[in-house]
Amino acid sequence: MNVIAASEIRGSSGVSDKDLKAALSQWLSTPPRRIDRLIFQALLAAAAIKQHVRRDCGLYLASRHPARPTMIALLEAVCAHHKQPKPFEFVNSVSNAAGFHVAQQLGLDGPNLFIGAGPRVWSQLLGLARTDLADGVVSQALLIVVDEQEGFCVQGVLVEGDGVAAGGFDELVSGVAVERLDLNVTL
Amino acid sequence: MTPVYLQRGALQCALGDTLASASLALSQGVHPQGQAFLLHELQQPRTYLHVAGNAEDFDARMDRLLSETLGHGHSALDDCLLIVASTSLDITELEAQASAQGHFLPDNSTSLDRVAEQLRERWGFADAFTLNTACTSAANGLLYGARLLAGGQFSRAVVIAFETPSALAMQGFGALDLLSPSGDYRPFHPQRDGLVLGETYAAALLALQPGDAPLARLLGGFSACDTTSLTTTREDGSHIDWVMQQALRSADRSASEVALVKLHGTATQANDHAEANGMLSLYGENMPALCVLKPWLGHTLGACGVSETLLLMHALQQATLPGLEYATDASLPLSGEPIALAEDALVLANFFGFGGNNATLVMQCCAAGEPQ
Repeated sequence: MNVIAASEIRGSSGVSDKDLKAALSQWLSTPPRRIDRLIFQALLAAAAIKQHVRRDCGLYLASRHPARPTMIALLEAVCAHHKQPKPFEFVNSVSNAAGFHVAQQLGLDGPNLFIGAGPRVWSQLLGLARTDLADGVVSQALLIVVDEQEGFCVQGVLVEGDGVAAGGFDELVSGVAVERLDLNVTL
Repeated sequence: MTPVYLQRGALQCALGDTLASASLALSQGVHPQGQAFLLHELQQPRTYLHVAGNAEDFDARMDRLLSETLGHGHSALDDCLLIVASTSLDITELEAQASAQGHFLPDNSTSLDRVAEQLRERWGFADAFTLNTACTSAANGLLYGARLLAGGQFSRAVVIAFETPSALAMQGFGALDLLSPSGDYRPFHPQRDGLVLGETYAAALLALQPGDAPLARLLGGFSACDTTSLTTTREDGSHIDWVMQQALRSADRSASEVALVKLHGTATQANDHAEANGMLSLYGENMPALCVLKPWLGHTLGACGVSETLLLMHALQQATLPGLEYATDASLPLSGEPIALAEDALVLANFFGFGGNNATLVMQCCAAGEPQ
Protein backbone atom coordinates (compact mmCIF):
# COMPACT_ATOMS: atom_id res chain seq x y z
CA MET A 1 0.00 0.00 0.00
CA ASN A 2 1.57 3.29 -1.11
CA VAL A 3 0.75 6.72 0.25
CA ILE A 4 0.15 9.07 -2.69
CA ALA A 5 -0.74 12.29 -0.86
CA ALA A 6 -1.65 13.51 2.60
CA SER A 7 -3.13 16.53 4.31
CA GLU A 8 -3.36 17.90 7.81
CA ILE A 9 -5.57 20.82 8.88
CA ARG A 10 -5.34 22.15 12.41
CA GLY A 11 -7.26 24.88 14.15
CA SER A 12 -8.25 26.21 17.53
CA SER A 13 -11.74 26.05 18.95
CA GLY A 14 -12.08 29.74 18.04
CA VAL A 15 -12.02 28.97 14.32
CA SER A 16 -15.58 29.54 13.13
CA ASP A 17 -17.50 27.73 10.41
CA LYS A 18 -17.13 30.94 8.38
CA ASP A 19 -13.34 30.64 8.73
CA LEU A 20 -13.54 27.02 7.60
CA LYS A 21 -15.62 28.03 4.60
CA ALA A 22 -13.11 30.74 3.67
CA ALA A 23 -10.25 28.25 3.94
CA LEU A 24 -12.12 25.75 1.82
CA SER A 25 -12.65 28.28 -0.95
CA GLN A 26 -8.96 28.04 -1.93
CA TRP A 27 -9.64 24.48 -3.13
CA LEU A 28 -13.37 24.41 -3.88
CA SER A 29 -15.03 27.15 -5.91
CA THR A 30 -18.59 26.25 -4.91
CA PRO A 31 -18.70 24.45 -1.58
CA PRO A 32 -22.08 23.01 -0.59
CA ARG A 33 -24.52 25.20 1.32
CA ARG A 34 -26.03 24.65 4.76
CA ILE A 35 -23.36 22.24 5.92
CA ASP A 36 -22.05 21.84 9.44
CA ARG A 37 -18.64 21.89 11.08
CA LEU A 38 -17.83 18.21 10.65
CA ILE A 39 -18.65 18.41 6.95
CA PHE A 40 -16.45 21.51 6.51
CA GLN A 41 -13.57 19.78 8.30
CA ALA A 42 -13.81 16.58 6.25
CA LEU A 43 -14.06 18.61 3.05
CA LEU A 44 -10.92 20.55 3.93
CA ALA A 45 -8.80 17.43 4.34
CA ALA A 46 -10.14 15.96 1.10
CA ALA A 47 -10.05 19.12 -1.00
CA ALA A 48 -6.43 19.81 -0.07
CA ILE A 49 -5.33 16.71 -2.00
CA LYS A 50 -8.17 16.41 -4.49
CA GLN A 51 -5.92 16.76 -7.52
CA HIS A 52 -4.51 13.29 -6.76
CA VAL A 53 -7.89 11.58 -6.32
CA ARG A 54 -9.29 9.38 -9.09
CA ARG A 55 -13.00 8.74 -9.59
CA ASP A 56 -12.77 5.10 -8.51
CA CYS A 57 -11.49 6.03 -5.08
CA GLY A 58 -13.19 4.71 -1.94
CA LEU A 59 -13.78 7.01 1.01
CA TYR A 60 -13.14 5.85 4.59
CA LEU A 61 -13.98 8.61 7.04
CA ALA A 62 -13.84 8.66 10.82
CA SER A 63 -14.66 11.19 13.50
CA ARG A 64 -14.33 11.01 17.26
CA HIS A 65 -17.54 13.00 17.79
CA PRO A 66 -20.54 14.08 15.73
CA ALA A 67 -20.66 17.78 14.84
CA ARG A 68 -21.28 19.12 18.34
CA PRO A 69 -23.04 22.38 17.31
CA THR A 70 -25.50 20.36 15.22
CA MET A 71 -26.18 17.89 18.01
CA ILE A 72 -26.61 20.66 20.56
CA ALA A 73 -29.08 22.47 18.30
CA LEU A 74 -31.06 19.28 17.71
CA LEU A 75 -31.10 18.08 21.31
CA GLU A 76 -32.08 21.47 22.68
CA ALA A 77 -34.80 21.99 20.05
CA VAL A 78 -36.36 18.54 20.47
CA CYS A 79 -35.72 17.62 24.10
CA ALA A 80 -35.53 20.95 25.92
CA HIS A 81 -37.85 23.18 23.88
CA HIS A 82 -40.13 20.51 22.34
CA LYS A 83 -39.75 22.03 18.89
CA GLN A 84 -39.42 20.28 15.57
CA PRO A 85 -35.80 20.07 14.48
CA LYS A 86 -34.68 22.06 11.45
CA PRO A 87 -34.68 19.59 8.53
CA PHE A 88 -31.18 20.54 7.32
CA GLU A 89 -29.77 20.09 10.84
CA PHE A 90 -31.41 16.68 11.16
CA VAL A 91 -30.05 15.59 7.79
CA ASN A 92 -26.57 16.92 8.59
CA SER A 93 -26.62 14.94 11.84
CA VAL A 94 -26.45 11.70 9.86
CA SER A 95 -22.85 10.69 10.44
CA ASN A 96 -22.19 9.87 6.81
CA ALA A 97 -23.41 13.28 5.62
CA ALA A 98 -19.78 14.42 5.65
CA GLY A 99 -18.79 11.45 3.48
CA PHE A 100 -21.60 12.23 1.07
CA HIS A 101 -20.41 15.81 0.58
CA VAL A 102 -16.79 14.75 0.14
CA ALA A 103 -17.85 12.18 -2.44
CA GLN A 104 -20.06 14.68 -4.25
CA GLN A 105 -17.36 17.35 -4.39
CA LEU A 106 -14.66 14.93 -5.54
CA GLY A 107 -16.92 12.96 -7.89
CA LEU A 108 -16.52 9.64 -6.07
CA ASP A 109 -19.22 7.04 -6.60
CA GLY A 110 -17.67 4.03 -4.90
CA PRO A 111 -17.71 2.74 -1.32
CA ASN A 112 -18.20 5.43 1.32
CA LEU A 113 -17.89 4.35 4.95
CA PHE A 114 -17.98 6.24 8.22
CA ILE A 115 -16.72 4.90 11.55
CA GLY A 116 -16.37 6.31 15.04
CA ALA A 117 -12.76 7.30 15.66
CA GLY A 118 -11.32 5.53 18.68
CA PRO A 119 -7.79 4.60 19.75
CA ARG A 120 -7.21 2.23 16.79
CA VAL A 121 -8.88 4.33 14.13
CA TRP A 122 -6.05 4.29 11.56
CA SER A 123 -5.66 0.50 11.63
CA GLN A 124 -9.45 0.15 11.33
CA LEU A 125 -9.69 2.51 8.37
CA LEU A 126 -6.73 0.80 6.71
CA GLY A 127 -8.35 -2.59 7.26
CA LEU A 128 -11.58 -1.50 5.60
CA ALA A 129 -9.76 0.18 2.73
CA ARG A 130 -7.54 -2.86 2.23
CA THR A 131 -10.56 -5.11 1.64
CA ASP A 132 -11.75 -2.89 -1.20
CA LEU A 133 -8.28 -2.33 -2.68
CA ALA A 134 -7.37 -6.01 -2.55
CA ASP A 135 -10.63 -7.07 -4.21
CA GLY A 136 -10.23 -4.45 -6.94
CA VAL A 137 -13.41 -2.63 -5.88
CA VAL A 138 -11.43 0.63 -5.87
CA SER A 139 -8.00 1.65 -7.13
CA GLN A 140 -7.42 4.27 -4.44
CA ALA A 141 -8.60 4.84 -0.88
CA LEU A 142 -8.98 8.21 0.81
CA LEU A 143 -8.76 7.94 4.59
CA ILE A 144 -9.83 10.92 6.71
CA VAL A 145 -9.85 11.27 10.50
CA VAL A 146 -11.54 14.24 12.18
CA ASP A 147 -10.81 14.95 15.82
CA GLU A 148 -12.11 18.02 17.62
CA GLN A 149 -11.67 18.37 21.35
CA GLU A 150 -9.97 21.58 22.56
CA GLY A 151 -8.96 22.50 19.02
CA PHE A 152 -9.37 20.36 15.95
CA CYS A 153 -7.13 18.25 13.75
CA VAL A 154 -8.18 16.70 10.46
CA GLN A 155 -5.85 14.32 8.68
CA GLY A 156 -6.24 12.84 5.23
CA VAL A 157 -4.22 10.09 3.55
CA LEU A 158 -4.64 8.88 -0.02
CA VAL A 159 -3.36 5.34 -0.61
CA GLU A 160 -3.23 2.80 -3.41
CA GLY A 161 -2.01 -0.76 -3.85
CA ASP A 162 -3.03 -3.84 -1.91
CA GLY A 163 -0.10 -4.39 0.41
CA VAL A 164 -0.20 -3.96 4.15
CA ALA A 165 0.31 -0.56 5.73
CA ALA A 166 0.30 0.05 9.44
CA GLY A 167 0.75 2.75 12.01
CA GLY A 168 -0.88 6.07 12.66
CA PHE A 169 -0.87 9.18 10.53
CA ASP A 170 2.76 10.11 11.28
CA GLU A 171 4.07 6.66 10.32
CA LEU A 172 1.92 6.50 7.20
CA VAL A 173 3.05 9.86 5.83
CA SER A 174 6.72 9.47 6.66
CA GLY A 175 8.63 10.63 3.59
CA VAL A 176 5.51 12.09 1.96
CA ALA A 177 4.93 15.81 1.40
CA VAL A 178 1.91 16.67 3.55
CA GLU A 179 -0.39 19.53 2.53
CA ARG A 180 -0.72 21.42 5.80
CA LEU A 181 -2.96 24.27 6.89
CA ASP A 182 -2.91 25.92 10.29
CA LEU A 183 -6.04 27.88 11.10
CA ASN A 184 -5.23 28.71 14.70
CA VAL A 185 -6.91 31.86 15.92
CA THR A 186 -5.02 33.90 18.47
CA LEU A 187 -7.44 35.39 20.97
CA MET B 1 -15.85 -12.68 -2.23
CA THR B 2 -15.04 -15.59 0.05
CA PRO B 3 -18.39 -16.90 1.35
CA VAL B 4 -19.02 -16.38 5.04
CA TYR B 5 -21.67 -18.00 7.23
CA LEU B 6 -24.18 -16.26 9.43
CA GLN B 7 -23.63 -18.83 12.13
CA ARG B 8 -26.00 -17.51 14.76
CA GLY B 9 -28.19 -14.52 15.46
CA ALA B 10 -30.35 -12.85 18.05
CA LEU B 11 -33.20 -10.40 17.53
CA GLN B 12 -35.47 -8.28 19.67
CA CYS B 13 -38.08 -6.38 17.69
CA ALA B 14 -41.73 -5.41 17.59
CA LEU B 15 -42.68 -8.93 16.53
CA GLY B 16 -41.01 -10.67 19.46
CA ASP B 17 -38.13 -10.52 21.89
CA THR B 18 -36.35 -13.53 20.42
CA LEU B 19 -35.49 -14.41 16.83
CA ALA B 20 -37.58 -17.58 17.00
CA SER B 21 -40.69 -15.81 18.35
CA ALA B 22 -40.37 -12.96 15.84
CA SER B 23 -39.86 -15.39 12.98
CA LEU B 24 -42.88 -17.45 14.02
CA ALA B 25 -45.04 -14.32 14.27
CA LEU B 26 -43.87 -13.24 10.82
CA SER B 27 -44.65 -16.61 9.26
CA GLN B 28 -48.13 -16.43 10.78
CA GLY B 29 -48.61 -12.96 9.31
CA VAL B 30 -49.06 -11.34 12.73
CA HIS B 31 -48.66 -7.56 12.59
CA PRO B 32 -47.23 -5.73 15.61
CA GLN B 33 -49.23 -3.12 17.47
CA GLY B 34 -47.80 0.37 17.20
CA GLN B 35 -47.93 3.10 19.81
CA ALA B 36 -48.76 6.72 19.01
CA PHE B 37 -46.51 9.68 19.72
CA LEU B 38 -47.06 13.34 18.89
CA LEU B 39 -44.99 15.44 16.55
CA HIS B 40 -43.80 18.52 18.41
CA GLU B 41 -45.53 21.80 17.48
CA LEU B 42 -47.84 20.11 14.94
CA GLN B 43 -49.33 17.89 17.67
CA GLN B 44 -50.12 15.27 15.05
CA PRO B 45 -49.96 11.59 15.99
CA ARG B 46 -47.54 9.20 14.37
CA THR B 47 -46.90 5.52 15.04
CA TYR B 48 -43.84 3.84 16.56
CA LEU B 49 -43.19 0.10 16.86
CA HIS B 50 -41.54 -0.64 20.20
CA VAL B 51 -39.77 -3.88 21.01
CA ALA B 52 -42.07 -6.55 22.39
CA GLY B 53 -41.52 -7.74 25.94
CA ASN B 54 -40.37 -6.06 29.09
CA ALA B 55 -38.34 -2.86 29.26
CA GLU B 56 -34.70 -3.59 29.84
CA ASP B 57 -31.59 -1.57 30.66
CA PHE B 58 -29.48 -0.84 27.54
CA ASP B 59 -26.37 -2.62 28.82
CA ALA B 60 -28.47 -5.62 29.87
CA ARG B 61 -29.97 -5.76 26.36
CA MET B 62 -26.53 -5.64 24.75
CA ASP B 63 -25.26 -8.39 27.05
CA ARG B 64 -28.32 -10.57 26.42
CA LEU B 65 -27.94 -10.13 22.67
CA LEU B 66 -24.28 -11.08 22.77
CA SER B 67 -24.93 -14.06 25.05
CA GLU B 68 -27.63 -15.38 22.72
CA THR B 69 -25.52 -14.75 19.63
CA LEU B 70 -22.33 -16.31 20.92
CA GLY B 71 -24.07 -19.21 22.66
CA HIS B 72 -23.43 -20.78 26.02
CA GLY B 73 -19.84 -21.63 26.83
CA HIS B 74 -18.44 -19.60 23.95
CA SER B 75 -14.68 -19.36 23.70
CA ALA B 76 -12.62 -16.24 24.41
CA LEU B 77 -13.25 -13.44 21.94
CA ASP B 78 -9.63 -12.51 21.27
CA ASP B 79 -10.08 -13.67 17.67
CA CYS B 80 -13.39 -11.88 17.18
CA LEU B 81 -14.13 -8.45 15.71
CA LEU B 82 -17.13 -6.47 16.96
CA ILE B 83 -18.87 -4.03 14.65
CA VAL B 84 -21.52 -1.77 16.19
CA ALA B 85 -24.01 -0.63 13.56
CA SER B 86 -26.50 1.98 14.72
CA THR B 87 -27.58 5.51 14.01
CA SER B 88 -28.89 6.04 17.54
CA LEU B 89 -25.95 4.73 19.60
CA ASP B 90 -26.32 6.35 23.06
CA ILE B 91 -28.66 9.12 21.91
CA THR B 92 -31.54 8.27 24.26
CA GLU B 93 -29.18 8.84 27.19
CA LEU B 94 -28.16 12.22 25.75
CA GLU B 95 -31.79 13.08 25.09
CA ALA B 96 -32.65 12.39 28.74
CA GLN B 97 -29.75 14.60 29.80
CA ALA B 98 -30.84 17.48 27.55
CA SER B 99 -34.41 17.11 28.75
CA ALA B 100 -33.42 17.14 32.43
CA GLN B 101 -30.95 20.02 32.10
CA GLY B 102 -32.99 22.13 29.70
CA HIS B 103 -29.86 22.50 27.56
CA PHE B 104 -26.96 20.46 26.19
CA LEU B 105 -23.32 21.41 26.59
CA PRO B 106 -20.39 20.49 24.34
CA ASP B 107 -18.83 18.54 27.19
CA ASN B 108 -21.99 16.41 27.44
CA SER B 109 -21.23 15.02 23.99
CA THR B 110 -19.94 11.44 23.97
CA SER B 111 -17.58 9.86 21.49
CA LEU B 112 -18.98 7.87 18.59
CA ASP B 113 -16.97 4.78 19.57
CA ARG B 114 -18.20 4.79 23.17
CA VAL B 115 -20.61 1.82 22.95
CA ALA B 116 -18.19 -0.21 20.83
CA GLU B 117 -15.30 0.41 23.19
CA GLN B 118 -17.38 -0.39 26.29
CA LEU B 119 -18.52 -3.69 24.77
CA ARG B 120 -14.98 -4.53 23.67
CA GLU B 121 -13.66 -3.98 27.17
CA ARG B 122 -16.55 -5.81 28.87
CA TRP B 123 -16.53 -8.82 26.57
CA GLY B 124 -12.88 -9.02 25.49
CA PHE B 125 -13.31 -8.62 21.73
CA ALA B 126 -10.08 -8.43 19.74
CA ASP B 127 -11.18 -5.15 18.20
CA ALA B 128 -14.35 -3.09 17.89
CA PHE B 129 -15.59 -0.10 15.96
CA THR B 130 -18.79 1.78 15.21
CA LEU B 131 -19.93 1.74 11.59
CA ASN B 132 -22.46 4.40 10.70
CA THR B 133 -23.69 4.79 7.15
CA ALA B 134 -27.29 5.67 8.04
CA CYS B 135 -29.77 2.95 7.05
CA THR B 136 -27.08 0.80 5.42
CA SER B 137 -24.98 0.66 8.62
CA ALA B 138 -25.78 -2.94 9.53
CA ALA B 139 -25.76 -4.18 5.93
CA ASN B 140 -22.29 -2.68 5.57
CA GLY B 141 -21.41 -4.24 8.93
CA LEU B 142 -22.27 -7.69 7.57
CA LEU B 143 -20.53 -7.05 4.25
CA TYR B 144 -17.29 -5.59 5.59
CA GLY B 145 -17.28 -7.88 8.64
CA ALA B 146 -17.41 -10.85 6.26
CA ARG B 147 -14.69 -9.44 4.00
CA LEU B 148 -12.41 -8.65 6.95
CA LEU B 149 -12.69 -12.32 7.98
CA ALA B 150 -11.53 -13.36 4.54
CA GLY B 151 -8.50 -11.11 5.04
CA GLY B 152 -7.43 -13.35 7.91
CA GLN B 153 -7.08 -10.76 10.65
CA PHE B 154 -10.00 -12.21 12.61
CA SER B 155 -11.61 -15.65 12.63
CA ARG B 156 -15.05 -14.44 13.77
CA ALA B 157 -17.02 -11.20 13.67
CA VAL B 158 -20.11 -10.08 15.53
CA VAL B 159 -22.25 -7.33 14.04
CA ILE B 160 -24.46 -5.83 16.72
CA ALA B 161 -27.13 -3.49 15.39
CA PHE B 162 -29.76 -1.49 17.22
CA GLU B 163 -32.07 1.47 17.06
CA THR B 164 -33.45 2.85 20.29
CA PRO B 165 -36.70 4.87 20.46
CA SER B 166 -34.99 8.18 19.85
CA ALA B 167 -36.98 11.42 20.06
CA LEU B 168 -34.54 12.98 17.58
CA ALA B 169 -35.29 10.28 15.00
CA MET B 170 -39.05 10.45 15.56
CA GLN B 171 -39.19 14.24 15.39
CA GLY B 172 -36.53 14.51 12.70
CA PHE B 173 -38.24 12.17 10.25
CA GLY B 174 -41.47 13.95 11.17
CA ALA B 175 -39.91 17.30 10.27
CA LEU B 176 -38.94 15.84 6.90
CA ASP B 177 -42.58 14.77 6.46
CA LEU B 178 -41.51 11.17 5.91
CA LEU B 179 -43.60 9.49 8.65
CA SER B 180 -46.86 7.78 7.83
CA PRO B 181 -49.88 9.75 9.14
CA SER B 182 -52.08 6.66 8.78
CA GLY B 183 -49.64 4.35 10.57
CA ASP B 184 -50.42 1.81 7.85
CA TYR B 185 -47.00 0.71 6.63
CA ARG B 186 -47.40 -0.19 2.97
CA PRO B 187 -44.21 -0.15 0.84
CA PHE B 188 -44.91 0.00 -2.90
CA HIS B 189 -48.63 0.67 -2.38
CA PRO B 190 -49.90 3.46 -4.67
CA GLN B 191 -51.35 5.26 -1.62
CA ARG B 192 -48.35 4.69 0.63
CA ASP B 193 -47.88 7.62 2.98
CA GLY B 194 -44.47 7.17 4.51
CA LEU B 195 -42.58 5.11 7.00
CA VAL B 196 -43.18 3.81 10.51
CA LEU B 197 -40.11 3.72 12.71
CA GLY B 198 -39.28 0.61 14.73
CA GLU B 199 -37.08 -0.23 17.72
CA THR B 200 -34.77 -3.19 17.46
CA TYR B 201 -31.71 -4.88 18.96
CA ALA B 202 -30.05 -7.53 16.82
CA ALA B 203 -26.75 -9.32 16.46
CA ALA B 204 -25.22 -11.78 14.00
CA LEU B 205 -22.15 -13.98 14.32
CA LEU B 206 -20.10 -14.34 11.12
CA ALA B 207 -17.50 -17.04 10.52
CA LEU B 208 -15.86 -18.85 7.64
CA GLN B 209 -17.14 -22.19 9.00
CA PRO B 210 -20.86 -23.03 9.07
CA GLY B 211 -21.09 -23.99 12.76
CA ASP B 212 -23.89 -26.25 14.01
CA ALA B 213 -26.90 -24.45 12.55
CA PRO B 214 -26.06 -21.65 10.13
CA LEU B 215 -28.82 -19.26 9.17
CA ALA B 216 -27.39 -18.34 5.78
CA ARG B 217 -24.28 -18.04 3.67
CA LEU B 218 -23.23 -14.53 2.65
CA LEU B 219 -21.83 -14.90 -0.85
CA GLY B 220 -21.20 -11.31 -1.78
CA GLY B 221 -22.38 -7.75 -1.69
CA PHE B 222 -21.65 -4.23 -2.72
CA SER B 223 -22.04 -0.80 -1.21
CA ALA B 224 -21.58 2.57 -2.86
CA CYS B 225 -22.49 6.21 -2.61
CA ASP B 226 -24.95 7.87 -4.95
CA THR B 227 -23.99 11.53 -4.85
CA THR B 228 -27.21 12.76 -6.44
CA SER B 229 -28.86 13.80 -3.19
CA LEU B 230 -28.21 13.46 0.53
CA THR B 231 -31.70 12.11 1.18
CA THR B 232 -32.80 10.30 -1.99
CA THR B 233 -31.21 8.11 -4.59
CA ARG B 234 -31.49 8.58 -8.36
CA GLU B 235 -35.15 8.42 -9.31
CA ASP B 236 -34.44 6.34 -12.41
CA GLY B 237 -33.05 3.57 -10.20
CA SER B 238 -29.81 3.42 -12.16
CA HIS B 239 -27.57 3.55 -9.07
CA ILE B 240 -29.62 0.85 -7.33
CA ASP B 241 -29.44 -1.29 -10.48
CA TRP B 242 -25.66 -0.82 -10.62
CA VAL B 243 -25.22 -1.70 -6.94
CA MET B 244 -27.30 -4.89 -7.33
CA GLN B 245 -25.26 -5.87 -10.38
CA GLN B 246 -21.97 -5.27 -8.60
CA ALA B 247 -23.20 -7.30 -5.62
CA LEU B 248 -24.07 -10.22 -7.90
CA ARG B 249 -20.70 -9.92 -9.61
CA SER B 250 -18.90 -10.09 -6.28
CA ALA B 251 -20.80 -13.32 -5.53
CA ASP B 252 -20.10 -14.67 -9.02
CA ARG B 253 -23.85 -15.12 -9.55
CA SER B 254 -26.32 -13.82 -12.10
CA ALA B 255 -29.63 -12.04 -11.59
CA SER B 256 -31.50 -15.00 -13.11
CA GLU B 257 -30.27 -17.29 -10.32
CA VAL B 258 -31.93 -15.19 -7.63
CA ALA B 259 -35.07 -16.78 -6.13
CA LEU B 260 -36.13 -13.88 -3.92
CA VAL B 261 -35.35 -10.17 -3.59
CA LYS B 262 -35.89 -8.59 -0.18
CA LEU B 263 -36.66 -5.01 -1.14
CA HIS B 264 -35.64 -2.07 1.01
CA GLY B 265 -39.16 -0.65 0.65
CA THR B 266 -39.33 2.38 2.94
CA ALA B 267 -42.80 3.37 1.67
CA THR B 268 -41.64 6.90 0.98
CA GLN B 269 -42.72 8.14 -2.43
CA ALA B 270 -39.26 8.77 -3.86
CA ASN B 271 -37.36 5.76 -2.60
CA ASP B 272 -39.95 3.13 -3.50
CA HIS B 273 -40.17 4.71 -6.94
CA ALA B 274 -36.39 4.57 -7.38
CA GLU B 275 -36.18 0.98 -6.14
CA ALA B 276 -39.02 -0.09 -8.44
CA ASN B 277 -37.14 1.47 -11.36
CA GLY B 278 -33.93 -0.26 -10.29
CA MET B 279 -35.71 -3.61 -10.21
CA LEU B 280 -37.26 -2.98 -13.63
CA SER B 281 -33.82 -2.11 -15.03
CA LEU B 282 -32.28 -5.31 -13.68
CA TYR B 283 -35.15 -7.71 -14.37
CA GLY B 284 -37.60 -6.13 -16.75
CA GLU B 285 -40.99 -7.77 -16.25
CA ASN B 286 -39.57 -11.17 -15.27
CA MET B 287 -38.82 -10.67 -11.62
CA PRO B 288 -38.13 -13.32 -9.00
CA ALA B 289 -40.28 -13.49 -5.87
CA LEU B 290 -40.26 -10.18 -3.98
CA CYS B 291 -40.83 -9.39 -0.33
CA VAL B 292 -40.75 -6.48 2.11
CA LEU B 293 -40.26 -6.75 5.86
CA LYS B 294 -40.76 -3.23 7.17
CA PRO B 295 -44.54 -3.67 7.65
CA TRP B 296 -43.65 -6.22 10.34
CA LEU B 297 -40.55 -4.61 11.87
CA GLY B 298 -41.01 -0.94 11.17
CA HIS B 299 -38.08 0.87 9.63
CA THR B 300 -35.28 -0.05 11.98
CA LEU B 301 -32.95 2.47 10.29
CA GLY B 302 -29.25 1.66 10.73
CA ALA B 303 -30.04 -1.75 12.19
CA CYS B 304 -32.23 -3.01 9.34
CA GLY B 305 -29.32 -4.78 7.64
CA VAL B 306 -29.12 -7.24 10.53
CA SER B 307 -32.71 -7.19 11.84
CA GLU B 308 -34.24 -7.83 8.41
CA THR B 309 -31.57 -10.31 7.32
CA LEU B 310 -31.96 -12.43 10.45
CA LEU B 311 -35.74 -12.37 10.33
CA LEU B 312 -35.79 -13.15 6.61
CA MET B 313 -33.32 -16.03 6.66
CA HIS B 314 -34.72 -17.57 9.86
CA ALA B 315 -38.31 -17.40 8.58
CA LEU B 316 -37.33 -18.93 5.24
CA GLN B 317 -35.42 -21.68 7.03
CA GLN B 318 -38.19 -22.55 9.47
CA ALA B 319 -41.34 -21.96 7.47
CA THR B 320 -42.51 -19.37 4.97
CA LEU B 321 -42.77 -15.63 4.50
CA PRO B 322 -46.32 -14.29 4.67
CA GLY B 323 -48.06 -12.98 1.59
CA LEU B 324 -48.77 -9.28 1.43
CA GLU B 325 -52.45 -8.31 1.81
CA TYR B 326 -52.26 -5.51 -0.75
CA ALA B 327 -50.01 -7.34 -3.24
CA THR B 328 -52.40 -6.94 -6.15
CA ASP B 329 -52.32 -3.14 -5.74
CA ALA B 330 -48.54 -2.81 -5.35
CA SER B 331 -46.36 -1.15 -7.96
CA LEU B 332 -44.06 -4.20 -7.99
CA PRO B 333 -45.22 -7.83 -8.26
CA LEU B 334 -45.01 -8.61 -4.54
CA SER B 335 -46.44 -11.95 -3.54
CA GLY B 336 -49.92 -12.21 -2.05
CA GLU B 337 -49.26 -15.85 -1.21
CA PRO B 338 -46.82 -17.26 1.36
CA ILE B 339 -43.28 -17.60 -0.02
CA ALA B 340 -41.29 -20.80 0.47
CA LEU B 341 -37.87 -21.32 -1.09
CA ALA B 342 -35.58 -24.26 -1.80
CA GLU B 343 -33.07 -25.07 0.94
CA ASP B 344 -30.18 -23.57 -1.02
CA ALA B 345 -32.05 -20.74 -2.75
CA LEU B 346 -30.32 -17.46 -3.59
CA VAL B 347 -31.62 -14.28 -1.96
CA LEU B 348 -30.78 -10.67 -2.79
CA ALA B 349 -31.36 -8.10 -0.04
CA ASN B 350 -31.44 -4.34 -0.63
CA PHE B 351 -30.66 -1.66 1.92
CA PHE B 352 -30.55 2.05 1.10
CA GLY B 353 -29.95 5.08 3.22
CA PHE B 354 -29.38 8.79 3.66
CA GLY B 355 -25.97 10.01 2.62
CA GLY B 356 -26.43 8.34 -0.76
CA ASN B 357 -25.53 4.92 0.60
CA ASN B 358 -26.95 2.00 -1.35
CA ALA B 359 -26.04 -1.58 -0.46
CA THR B 360 -27.04 -5.04 -1.63
CA LEU B 361 -26.21 -8.40 -0.05
CA VAL B 362 -26.26 -11.75 -1.87
CA MET B 363 -27.09 -14.67 0.40
CA GLN B 364 -27.84 -18.35 0.13
CA CYS B 365 -30.32 -20.14 2.36
CA CYS B 366 -29.02 -22.97 4.54
CA ALA B 367 -30.96 -26.04 5.58
CA ALA B 368 -32.46 -25.86 9.06
CA GLY B 369 -30.22 -27.30 11.74
CA GLU B 370 -30.58 -27.49 15.45
CA PRO B 371 -32.88 -24.81 16.87
CA GLN B 372 -31.01 -21.77 18.15
